[in-house]
Amino acid sequence: MSLLTRALEGTITSEMEQVAAREKVSPEFIRQGVAAGAIVIPGNINHKNIMPVGIGKGLRTKVSASIGLYGSEASLAEEISKVKTALAAGTDALMDLSVSGDIDAMRLETLNSASVPVGTLPVYQAIAEAGKKYGSTVKMTAEEMFEVIERHAADGVDFLALHCATTMDVVERAKRESRLDPLVSYGGAHLIGWMIANECENPLYQQYDRVLAIARKYNVTLSLADGMRPGCLADSLDGAQVQELVILGELVRRARAAGVQIMIKGPGHMPLEHVKATVTLQKSLCQGAPYFVFGPLLTDIAAGYDHINAAIGGALSAWAGAEFLCYVTPAEHIGVPSADQVREGVIAARIAAHVGDLAKGRKEAWQWDLEMSLARKQLDWKRQLELAIDPPRAAEIRKTRNNGESTACAMCGKYCAMEIVAKYLNTTKHSC
Amino acid sequence: MTQVLKARAGIITEEMEAVATDENLEAEFIRQGVAEGRIVIPRNKNRKEFKYCGIGAGLRIKVNALIGTSSDRDDMEMEARKLAIAEEAGCDSFMDLSTGKDIDGMRKQSLSLAHVAMGSTMIYQAGIEAIEKYGSVVSMREEDIFEVIERQAADGLDFMAIHCALNMDVIKRMQNTGRVTDVVSRGGAFLTGWMLHNQKENPLYEKFDRVLEILKAYDVTLSLGDAIRPGSIADSLDGAQLQGMIIQGELTRRAQEAGVQVMVEGPGHVPLNHVEATMEVQKRLCNNAPYYILGTLATDVTPGYDHISGAIGGALIGACGADFLCYLTPAEHLGLPTEEDVRTGVITTRMAAHIADIAKGNQQAWARDLEMAKARVALNLNRQIKAALYPEQLKAAAAAAGDDRGCVVCGTGCAAQVAAEYFEIR
Repeated sequence: MSLLTRALEGTITSEMEQVAAREKVSPEFIRQGVAAGAIVIPGNINHKNIMPVGIGKGLRTKVSASIGLYGSEASLAEEISKVKTALAAGTDALMDLSVSGDIDAMRLETLNSASVPVGTLPVYQAIAEAGKKYGSTVKMTAEEMFEVIERHAADGVDFLALHCATTMDVVERAKRESRLDPLVSYGGAHLIGWMIANECENPLYQQYDRVLAIARKYNVTLSLADGMRPGCLADSLDGAQVQELVILGELVRRARAAGVQIMIKGPGHMPLEHVKATVTLQKSLCQGAPYFVFGPLLTDIAAGYDHINAAIGGALSAWAGAEFLCYVTPAEHIGVPSADQVREGVIAARIAAHVGDLAKGRKEAWQWDLEMSLARKQLDWKRQLELAIDPPRAAEIRKTRNNGESTACAMCGKYCAMEIVAKYLNTTKHSC
Repeated sequence: MTQVLKARAGIITEEMEAVATDENLEAEFIRQGVAEGRIVIPRNKNRKEFKYCGIGAGLRIKVNALIGTSSDRDDMEMEARKLAIAEEAGCDSFMDLSTGKDIDGMRKQSLSLAHVAMGSTMIYQAGIEAIEKYGSVVSMREEDIFEVIERQAADGLDFMAIHCALNMDVIKRMQNTGRVTDVVSRGGAFLTGWMLHNQKENPLYEKFDRVLEILKAYDVTLSLGDAIRPGSIADSLDGAQLQGMIIQGELTRRAQEAGVQVMVEGPGHVPLNHVEATMEVQKRLCNNAPYYILGTLATDVTPGYDHISGAIGGALIGACGADFLCYLTPAEHLGLPTEEDVRTGVITTRMAAHIADIAKGNQQAWARDLEMAKARVALNLNRQIKAALYPEQLKAAAAAAGDDRGCVVCGTGCAAQVAAEYFEIR
């Protein structure tokens, strides 16, 4: 029986209890959220060492890091070391987006290494295998796609990203409306090309019940991807994107009816003034299903700094109601991220999530900031470094941007505002 | 005649012309903005020609960098390098916040090297000279404060942050309501200490006309310091901050009436849900004078990454109407920035400004993003490099990638290629 079905029956499972304890809410709150589809707890019955993570309304905003084999020089060992980097930096979930090499081995190794939920995008592997088998991805069969989906589910993948709503109607609308960039998503682009070449509807849409059956069997959470996510500001909230969102809403209903947990993936690139509207539309059309946004990036021109660009968009999206942020690294639009860039990406996404949580008035978030500010006032450097979002990095900068042992910092040197004011307001006495 | 008086007399100055050209706007629009106090163009009459920047309503949001020596790191050559890097990275102005040994020397060095508008926070020098002369900042004499303003103005500073809007009422309000982090502005702290110790009103407030007189003589733009800005999320929009903002509003009007260009400094640490209100209140209380923001930092817990928290807050407050963003570097709250921190700070803040410009519908900003999108669809790396906010990263990646730019997965018969042909995009 799937987690959703149990929640609907009124059962509080151990996963719900664990999530409730970590989020400091009642298990019943979690059960109700899962039953209503506003919260998902990804957890494949075959992913043995998983620590349940709740994603959705009323919970801390979560972040996901993507790794994977890409290109002829990719190494499994290196990608697994990135998995460890991402976990150490505090990611709440991982996606293995391998597109080449030994994809099966990479997935199994990621599942073994990660106690957080793991997601994949099975069509990547179907494309890679068709490329090898036929020398052409357009010759891939629908059967082969479903075989790969089942393989990933059976291996223990907790959430599957699938482009089920990228239908012929949506594709034709993008063409009719002369979308500037219709091929943003790698999986979506191949799927669309396959549909056009084979003159056939998207099998993930046409045989959606089959997708649902696999998901139910392994208690996989669906993460429906948006093949028409805007890839530039100019395409944001265009007809194709919104039409796909309408279809995604239909598929949410069907997933819930089938007892399958579901969340929706979102953009992408959008101007700042579209953020609230985008999240509101998704919440309305997809009946409150968790929103898993990729960034969003609020400008197209920030290559090299897209992790910061995404942090701005992610913070505003989280504030507006998105619950799950897919990280973006400084390598976005440029290349494959190094381990350092993975780390930077995770931290930037965590900052965005935390800023969104603060804006939503989450108590734990406010408490964290309050403690930091109290430590600042007391010039308690040890405590400040402990409370930093990335303590090793804060410690390193403190060490390298100062000379000697100052109670304050080299910014103000002898003339620390905190010290002067404390003296005359007779507030805190401090020494460190 | 100061620039604002010229604007009111209907004269279009060379500075207004330059700003109009840069922004692709009518010079008359700029003149009106300056005349009404919605736009400032900092330029000291003693400074030779440089790249002027207009700050205010209807213009591209501008970015300010900070440099300066401190008692812990007093290396003027390093600060000269930081200035060069900040300009290369695209700052529109900078402030020299030196508190090291030779503050006069640093200011002269910066003025001789700079190609953009330059500002300072004058009370640092007054305070530090008082410590040297009398042993303590609280022994600072009123005359010394005004002498430093005059000295710095005569040297050619284009804008000066002066903490005139801090008075006894503000301090009392803060003491009554209580705060987590009382006064986090260094200049504000000097003055608070001085006022409480001497039990005297802030001379910069009490003798505001004298401040205006000096600024008017050299046509210096006043940047009304925010001594009481919130230094923690918990203190945002408290009574003390708002009391300070009311005083800033009063003084803004007096400066505008006196024919002195004026902008208003703002926070600080502000949760996202306070940003719009902060902005609205400032514009309303301060007669639409340009708002110069330090951040805003959207959280307290990111030392090492405060440039990111600052970019989050800066983009949002820019979209809500802030005109001028002071950069934050990864060293904020931890130490003095290195050259590399300065570069990161300027680029990050420029991104925040650009995102806000787009949200406000600035046509130049939209055109640039559109060009990048088209270059990406065309897979044209050279055009992408040209459109990029900071192209070095793309250039380096392009060089490193060499010829290995093809897709590795499926070779011929690529489905994505079929889709591209269908959409007629390549």
